[in-house]
Amino acid sequence: MKTGIFICHCGHNIKHTVDVKKLSEYFKKIPNVTVSKDYVFVCSEPGQDMIKDAIEKEGLDRVIIASCTPSLHGPMFKDVLRKSNLNPFLLRRVSIREHCAWVGNDVEANTEKAKRLILAGLYSSAHYVPLEEKIVDVQKSALVVGGGVSGLSAAIFLSKMGMHVYLVEKEAELGGHVRILKDVWPAGRDGKGIVEEMAGELEKQENVEIFTSTTITNFEGFFGNYEATLKTPEGEKRLTVGGAVLAIGFSPFDPGIKPELQYGKDKRIITTLEFENNSDTLRLPEKPRVAILHCVGSRDEQIGKPYCSRVCCVNALRVGNALKDKHKESYVESFYMDVRAHPKGGEEFFEDTQEKGVLFTRANVGEIIPTPSGVVIRGEDTLFGETFEREFDLVVLSIGMSSPKDCKLIANTFKIALDKDNFFMEAHIKLRPFDTAVKGIFIAGSCSGPKDVEESINHGRASAVKLFGLLNLGYTYVEPFISYVDPKRCSGCRMCEHACFSNAIKYDEEKRVVHVEEAACMGCGLCNATCPSSAISLRGYIDPMIDDEISGFTEAI
Amino acid sequence: MAEETSKKNPEIVGFCCSYCTFKASEMAGSLRMKYPEGVKVIEVPCSSRVDPAFIIKAIVEGADGVFVSGCHPGDCHFIKGNFYTRRKIAALKEMFDAFSMKDRLRLFWVSASEARRFIDKVTSFYNYIKEKNDEREKA
Repeated sequence: MKTGIFICHCGHNIKHTVDVKKLSEYFKKIPNVTVSKDYVFVCSEPGQDMIKDAIEKEGLDRVIIASCTPSLHGPMFKDVLRKSNLNPFLLRRVSIREHCAWVGNDVEANTEKAKRLILAGLYSSAHYVPLEEKIVDVQKSALVVGGGVSGLSAAIFLSKMGMHVYLVEKEAELGGHVRILKDVWPAGRDGKGIVEEMAGELEKQENVEIFTSTTITNFEGFFGNYEATLKTPEGEKRLTVGGAVLAIGFSPFDPGIKPELQYGKDKRIITTLEFENNSDTLRLPEKPRVAILHCVGSRDEQIGKPYCSRVCCVNALRVGNALKDKHKESYVESFYMDVRAHPKGGEEFFEDTQEKGVLFTRANVGEIIPTPSGVVIRGEDTLFGETFEREFDLVVLSIGMSSPKDCKLIANTFKIALDKDNFFMEAHIKLRPFDTAVKGIFIAGSCSGPKDVEESINHGRASAVKLFGLLNLGYTYVEPFISYVDPKRCSGCRMCEHACFSNAIKYDEEKRVVHVEEAACMGCGLCNATCPSSAISLRGYIDPMIDDEISGFTEAI
Repeated sequence: MAEETSKKNPEIVGFCCSYCTFKASEMAGSLRMKYPEGVKVIEVPCSSRVDPAFIIKAIVEGADGVFVSGCHPGDCHFIKGNFYTRRKIAALKEMFDAFSMKDRLRLFWVSASEARRFIDKVTSFYNYIKEKNDEREKA
């Protein structure tokens, strides 16, 4: 066996706490190590060439790169091996940056730790075998769940790029929450017009199928060939799709959860949504006294909603603005924590509202008491530290966004994670804000956190672009880390069959042994740990590899 | 072997699930959080891949402590692998109890974003083992 060890300095990142020269000298003396080098940046062009040269000249059959964490530059180093006609699965990455150089300051101890880590990699890689990644065709079709603005914008983009789109909406009409808005700020258009324009654009496309009043009952398979089962009014329908965009939106906060607000018990206490839809039919006196409560269902630890809903400050400002336009003599008071007018033009709108005469009081509202003459608000002015009690004719609650009602159901169906507030979780909040941990499933719009209309449309389109990038390639690689059975050792006890939760292990009654259905195996390795006769092994993580990795750490080999 | 290692700093071997805890340990590294050099982690696809034999092997070969860590219950990438781990480790702990080594094995859950929790968990385990080793040496 000819192993090449390449130790990266990573500029100063590794070098300043690990003695890389000492390491490369040490490994030169180890049997089976043909090449042991250290280099300033192994990931750079000259660094890659160094590996290629070593493979070609020395005929290496194992390559160990001790550098950053395996998830960084993984595909790049695999390509280096491929170009040198070496199977990419004979590469071992050892993380001596994230797991060694950056977590300790003592040079001597770090060098010892790095030595052990590389040694573990060396011992473990001795058991590596060439593996083949399977190439699987990708269906050029996408499932879009949710027919709100973000779902519509995702579906429009995907269909225009030539993907077959299945749009699923559980309500009878497309449009979601935007459809019921009378005036979408700052466009000044009604929401119905916006969604109908988008839906019209989508319906013109030939490669789109829209399912309304439809829910998803099952979703399984792997990227490129997911199987979705829909429950349509006409009956069950099965689809094969390459990927999915989830845009199931949000549900408005129900103020009934906070009994002190008396919502639903008195007609004079309404939400911003109700105000917007019924502003003409409200019976208000000549000089109405109106209170607007900000942050209802947002930034509230007690009810488990510590986040800011982003849209409700502007909604509250719009209520005040509209009231002042209609009733010049009205008395409008906003009770706020902080005014966060996020979107473009929001600050100017806030100033405009103040100029029109809406009063802003920084306050915590304790309770609302309906009386025959008016609705009394009791609270504490947090700037002056005084309690107050004032009477109003109307109270408008600026409600926030809560996670969608179906979030748990959809998350379970698609096997994706929820964050602490029950919104869908991104794969990485900054680097991969549209992806989920599952390949080919993207999230769009306010189901990943509160967003306004503009942001939702952009988010939907961005997710669609990401999905299009994956689907358009036409093929995908499947990692070969799946289990295999040695039929000679298998005693047919069927313990692995009971343990396997993807039903990938099947028992052969005739031969009295089990075999693995490769397409169904997810590669967790539970069967490997369960088998009492070591007959079943997980490729890439077989028992001797991990055994010897432990030995590398404990130095007993 | 145990007498030798007790004189030095403890050696801890950790088995980390590649979807959660290993990601958290990467993140802890990138955030330059510090933890003792004695802690070394092995990446496994799922915490359920950890065969009790690995844990026993690590202890026999001189590791002072072993931890197994995966995704929080209910968050497993493989749907319910960590439930199996939980039961397996509970059974193994029972066995270790007979040899008074119950506290040398720990199981905890760290998700991919919880770098701080990873640091807290491994550091407290390390300090605990170190304290125990010091006590034994005095005795």
